[in-house]
Amino acid sequence: MGRTDSLAKLAWAYGLHVARRRLTRPRSQLAKLVDTYERDGIRALTPEERELHPRLIGCINCGLCALAAGRLGRARLPDLASSYMRLYARLGDASSDVAGDVPDLEAASAACPVGLPLADVAAIVRRLAAG
Amino acid sequence: MSAPSAHDVCVIGGGVTGAGIARDLSLRGLSVLLLEKGDWGAGTSGSSTWMIHGGPRYLEFDWDTTRRSCEDAGHIVTIARHMVYRVAFLVPILPHDRNNIERMETAMEVYDRFQPLKKSNPHVRLTADEARQAEPGLTPDLIGAVTLEEWGVDPHRLVYANVQDAVAHGARALNHTRVTDVLRDAGKVIGVRYRSPDGSLSEARAKVVVNAAGPWVPEISRMVGTQVQLRPAKGIHLVYPHRISNFGLSAETVDGRDVLMVSHGGFTLLGTTDDDFYGDLDAVDVHEDEVDYLLQAFERVFPSIRQYRPVRTTTGVRPTLFKWRRYEDELSRRYQVIDHSADGAEGFVTIAGGKLSMYRLMAEETSDVVCRKLGHQAPCTTATQPLPGSESELEPAADLARRYGISALAAVKVQSRHGSRSADVLDETHLGRIVCRCEPLTESELAYAARHEQVRSLADAFRRVGLAAGPCAGGACVMRAAEVIGQQLGWSASQRFDAVREFVRGAWLGRAPVLGRSGWAQEELAQGALRGLR
Repeated sequence: MGRTDSLAKLAWAYGLHVARRRLTRPRSQLAKLVDTYERDGIRALTPEERELHPRLIGCINCGLCALAAGRLGRARLPDLASSYMRLYARLGDASSDVAGDVPDLEAASAACPVGLPLADVAAIVRRLAAG
Repeated sequence: MSAPSAHDVCVIGGGVTGAGIARDLSLRGLSVLLLEKGDWGAGTSGSSTWMIHGGPRYLEFDWDTTRRSCEDAGHIVTIARHMVYRVAFLVPILPHDRNNIERMETAMEVYDRFQPLKKSNPHVRLTADEARQAEPGLTPDLIGAVTLEEWGVDPHRLVYANVQDAVAHGARALNHTRVTDVLRDAGKVIGVRYRSPDGSLSEARAKVVVNAAGPWVPEISRMVGTQVQLRPAKGIHLVYPHRISNFGLSAETVDGRDVLMVSHGGFTLLGTTDDDFYGDLDAVDVHEDEVDYLLQAFERVFPSIRQYRPVRTTTGVRPTLFKWRRYEDELSRRYQVIDHSADGAEGFVTIAGGKLSMYRLMAEETSDVVCRKLGHQAPCTTATQPLPGSESELEPAADLARRYGISALAAVKVQSRHGSRSADVLDETHLGRIVCRCEPLTESELAYAARHEQVRSLADAFRRVGLAAGPCAGGACVMRAAEVIGQQLGWSASQRFDAVREFVRGAWLGRAPVLGRSGWAQEELAQGALRGLR
């Protein structure tokens, strides 16, 4: 009975939905989506970032980049790749950690055994932290 | 054996339901003993999808379940506000999907009526291009997408917050304590016998014993000579130690089931499977074909998924109510409170079935039955009484970080676990050094967990404060973590060493099914660093 009732109500809702779609002109809702979730730190990656992303998250936390280049702002380099790059929704609350001086990221990448492009890691973390 | 302790109620099972019942009854003024054979939330609760959701899937079966689930989710979001966060899903529609975009949007329009109950936003509909702007990794075959909003939560912290509040209101709560027998006197249940972590046996007398053991409900029932039949269902998740996308995604499996990729605090859960389970509840394995089943589904909507490296798997067994001749996926997530007086077991109550999103309501209804049996009249207050840490607004993470000399990200993480009580945690030992850099976790929080949060092993610390939950899976931190915990608990050098060995062995079981090329490289590094522990 419960299932029959539920399916009947869904069928009615479907009829109304289809009628409404035919009578009204659809408008883009992308801006609404972006606005709604901006304050929760839910932000889209750019197509370029998406393409790179699988290569940016391979850190195995060996610490060799720290020996080669030190810190980005207040964040140690392995932390940048192993922690900040996890893309926390609240990354914006930690933007002060990654502001400031940029070390020699090319040297850090050269020392990385899994070849992490740390300049790209730094760029994406800073962009998302800045909001 | 020492003299038995005496309580109004003994609750067996320290998952979210048992912990919720202990909290509810304690707030009503009853004396409660809560017993858990493993760690808090280490069973079904911890291996869930980590979501407080309303359940749009139930709209096909029973709108009332959706309404009740959304209502209770709304209560949980209110009382646990420091530990919940929004999860915005993109539901991509592909050619040949079971539901076309009009049917899917209809379901979301109906679900929107319930969304305000849990303080969630209504859906939006996106064209294929728009959906790929929101998530460029979606397949070019896309027809369009709708969105769906739910809430994420760390179930381990949710369970522990309930335990913590129960204890604050007078309950006694013991983890790593296994019930070995239920005591009876002339048919009436009068208490339990239990084995403590040191191996000693004790007895506790209680006017009512509540069986909230999740999938272990039938095992406890057999101790009383009653029968509760479940249809246990196994579910696995893949865990990626970072957010793959800031949006959650859904996908359809080869057999037409819906599975989810859920973006949590700093990681992604991908799952779940749903299969009848007949094996040993204490040894549930993950098989490589289950991993492939999930990846196959997501590869269709998010083609680069196999380029990402899962760090481990989770597995658990749902305590689904028994029903004959239905596919596992169609089984109801309903629950049942059973008073076993009619079975000749006066003083014995079982709560079976249900799901994380309705734990508070399940606890309330079970507590109502217990109170009626005891003739105790006190209203339930768990829908409005905040959980520990959610009593007041959070201070800005950057301010907390400056005050304690830690990174702002570490402050964000401690707030996500302890909410408005974060300063108390950081005040405890003034150890601002980071012990787990991936998470990041301070030594002071870890020491606090060992001293005040019943952490007795590194695996307990993983659940309580996220130790070793990041990309390195503990390779860089478990030795130091054992030192910090050992200092608090008085472990000898060999006990610290044993704790690390036990953790490494346990973690391996969840990692082996998903180790790819980089995973093996990392495993080599970790094993090299910990050489001699095996």
